[in-house]
Amino acid sequence: MNFKKIKYILLFLPFFLFSACEAELDEFQADAGELDLTTFVSIGNSLTAGFADNALYRSGQENSIGNILANQLMYAGLAEFTQPLMKDELGLGGRLVLGVVEGSLLPVPMPGDPDPGNFENIFGTEGPFHNMGVPGAQAQHLLFPGYATLNPYFGRFASEPAATVLEDALALEPTFFSLWIGNNDILGYALGGGEGAGITPTVDFQQAYMFMLSQLTAGEARGVIGNIPGITEIPFFNTIPYNPIVLTDQNIVDQLNEAYAPLPHINFSLGQNPLIVEDMDPELAPFYRRQLQEGELVLLTALELLNDPNINYGVEEPLPAAFYLSLEQLSNIENAIDEYNDIIIAAAAEFDLAYVDINAILKETRSGIAFDALEFNTEFVTGGAFSLDGVHLSARGNAIVANAFIAAINSKYNANIPKALVSDYPGIIFP
Amino acid sequence: MRKTIFIALLLIMTSTTLWAGGYQVSLHGQKQIGMGLIGTSLNLDASASFYNPGALALMPQTLSVQAGASGIFASTAFRMREPSAYRAQTDNSMGTPFYFYAAGMITDRLAAGLAVNTPYGNSLKWEDGWAGRFLIDEISLMALTIQPTLSYKITDNLSVGAGFIYTIGSVDLKRALPVQDHQAEGQVAIEGSTTNYGFNAGILYASDMGLNIGVSYRSRIDMEVDDGDAIFSVPASLKPNFPDSKVSTMLPLPANLDFGLSYQVTRDLMIGMALNYVFWDAYESLAFEFEQNPDLNDTSPREYSNTLIVRAGGEYRLNDAFYLRAGAYYDPSPVNEIYFSPETPSLDNLAFTGGLSFLPMQNLSIDLSLLFILGFEGEREFAPANFGGTYKSRIMIPGLGISYSL
Repeated sequence: MNFKKIKYILLFLPFFLFSACEAELDEFQADAGELDLTTFVSIGNSLTAGFADNALYRSGQENSIGNILANQLMYAGLAEFTQPLMKDELGLGGRLVLGVVEGSLLPVPMPGDPDPGNFENIFGTEGPFHNMGVPGAQAQHLLFPGYATLNPYFGRFASEPAATVLEDALALEPTFFSLWIGNNDILGYALGGGEGAGITPTVDFQQAYMFMLSQLTAGEARGVIGNIPGITEIPFFNTIPYNPIVLTDQNIVDQLNEAYAPLPHINFSLGQNPLIVEDMDPELAPFYRRQLQEGELVLLTALELLNDPNINYGVEEPLPAAFYLSLEQLSNIENAIDEYNDIIIAAAAEFDLAYVDINAILKETRSGIAFDALEFNTEFVTGGAFSLDGVHLSARGNAIVANAFIAAINSKYNANIPKALVSDYPGIIFP
Repeated sequence: MRKTIFIALLLIMTSTTLWAGGYQVSLHGQKQIGMGLIGTSLNLDASASFYNPGALALMPQTLSVQAGASGIFASTAFRMREPSAYRAQTDNSMGTPFYFYAAGMITDRLAAGLAVNTPYGNSLKWEDGWAGRFLIDEISLMALTIQPTLSYKITDNLSVGAGFIYTIGSVDLKRALPVQDHQAEGQVAIEGSTTNYGFNAGILYASDMGLNIGVSYRSRIDMEVDDGDAIFSVPASLKPNFPDSKVSTMLPLPANLDFGLSYQVTRDLMIGMALNYVFWDAYESLAFEFEQNPDLNDTSPREYSNTLIVRAGGEYRLNDAFYLRAGAYYDPSPVNEIYFSPETPSLDNLAFTGGLSFLPMQNLSIDLSLLFILGFEGEREFAPANFGGTYKSRIMIPGLGISYSL
């Protein structure tokens, strides 16, 4: 080798080395394990559908738990997953976006008119659909013929007006399904402050739930089911404290106590004071008002009343009973969740299904939890896990739950389904 | 002339790239690189000011001047903790650490020298939008040291020396913030520079039988940035919560205790080894304090451990014009396995080196080196952020230097 040649080699050496020394890691090997992923159907309520920010809208559906789960199952062989996608970002509902109102960030209605196509049935043109999540649906609703005429979300994608959600799901002949239902059976009661809809009796829930699972598993289908989270842990019930009335002037404290002198159980003092609320307990006749107790929860929708410039709600005028949950109502909710969850875990054993303890995940999230270098908690807006309605999950929240489903599927069916990357999904959009 | 070279090198210097354990970079002489970076027991030339200032008075030349640079082609791969299909790569630009040394005998016994080099640095850029962007998007750390050195020959076999190290450091990092508007995700860019000083000292025993024993020490230098700039790019409605701010932070440059042994086996063959003990435990945490918004202050654990680097290498003199070198070393990662941040993804490294000197005339040597580092694949996590996976790295570093002596 002469010197000229060496020089030539040395000149190009760096370029050669640059390409030759790239570090590489093996690709992840996905595996369906014992699952047959020919057809996957995801059945549930608003959470499965991708309802967020008080509406079902297109990008919310694309980031739904059902769709995230399906996208990950595609690594292991799932070929197709269709959704009844809305035509636009306003969708169906009352879409909220973050806006600046008098200097503070608040959810406000998204401007614009939704596409009329959002209200039309699209089964004939785009169906059938693998995402059978129906916002608002309770367990029994999935079995109710004609539900499509009562619920516009199902009306949009039902095979015919008299179809049931379960029938449409079974018509797809799922080889694998997810079922997460029952939240609305309790949530409706909670969202009404315990004054409107009741909690579905446990036996009725059980009957509907077991029937659905027996139908879904009648063939060879395997499935995954999730339990009911502590619904009163969501931001909707935990943003307004029970005692938001701040008094700093002793004269005002005295005036209030004087005004409330006929009601000795109501007392004001300097500092934070509980809200005055309506309570129809006969013992509180004839005024039917009392102060909230620690542990009782105020609904997020009370914000509008508390900010009313004309009526001093919570102090002079009691906050109506539909805007808070009393300790008794909270215990009704807690008992129902416990009973439902006993049924769900027993059903998982009986039908030999993968089981996701979503209740535990929400509890963990309450004290703060990190995924993919992102921190989450249940704070309204800033917590990252919930959308702007304070009830439904954000896209990242959906990814966290979808990953819990995946973990359960992997362990039950010896599968190796990759988890979704939480940080790939959008967070709250700020103005 | 010398000054021009120095300035030119400063201009082309983009940054140095992480490749040694942590953010220490030991590319300070092409001859030493060729021999597995042994240097503590060598009295080759002016480069001793860095490796062992005690060896300077025993260098064979009356005057030695040299300059050189290396090109670092580093690549790190990441795969998210299973089960996940996510993979990412770094997208680094070439790092170019450099050195310049001049040393001469002032009297028979006293030698003086000046060293300018970049002993610490880390430059890393992950691919755009990568999953760890909330921990780090890109970082560039650089420390340039200027070191006047004196060395005294006590006997013909024993000399001591010490240097005063003046360090200019800079840091430049970007990370994503988990707030977004319709256009983009938030980001914070932190920039700062600082200076500080330290010292090194060493002793060399060179026997008439060809056996050299050297010990040297380099002090820890804390690079404290207290008037850095933090620029926050966030949605307009959040700007009041993220004001641009002065920022302070501190990064310790760890102390090193080195021991070296080398032996001239024959007239043409020299072999040697070195042990470098690096006091990485100085790096306990990385904290940022924002003057304008203390709510954003952040302290993140690092908890590095001290490491022992084991090196071996040798040199073979082919003829008057050609010298060949080879070596290897093992450099365990100082980074804590559960506080393993992707900003310094330093793995257990095994390295192989080769080198060549060509002397077109007796006083001039053109020195080439090549270093290949394998960063062993390993599963690590940054527990506070629940971010973990498998990392692997490959680094290739060709180097070129020139030495002139009288």
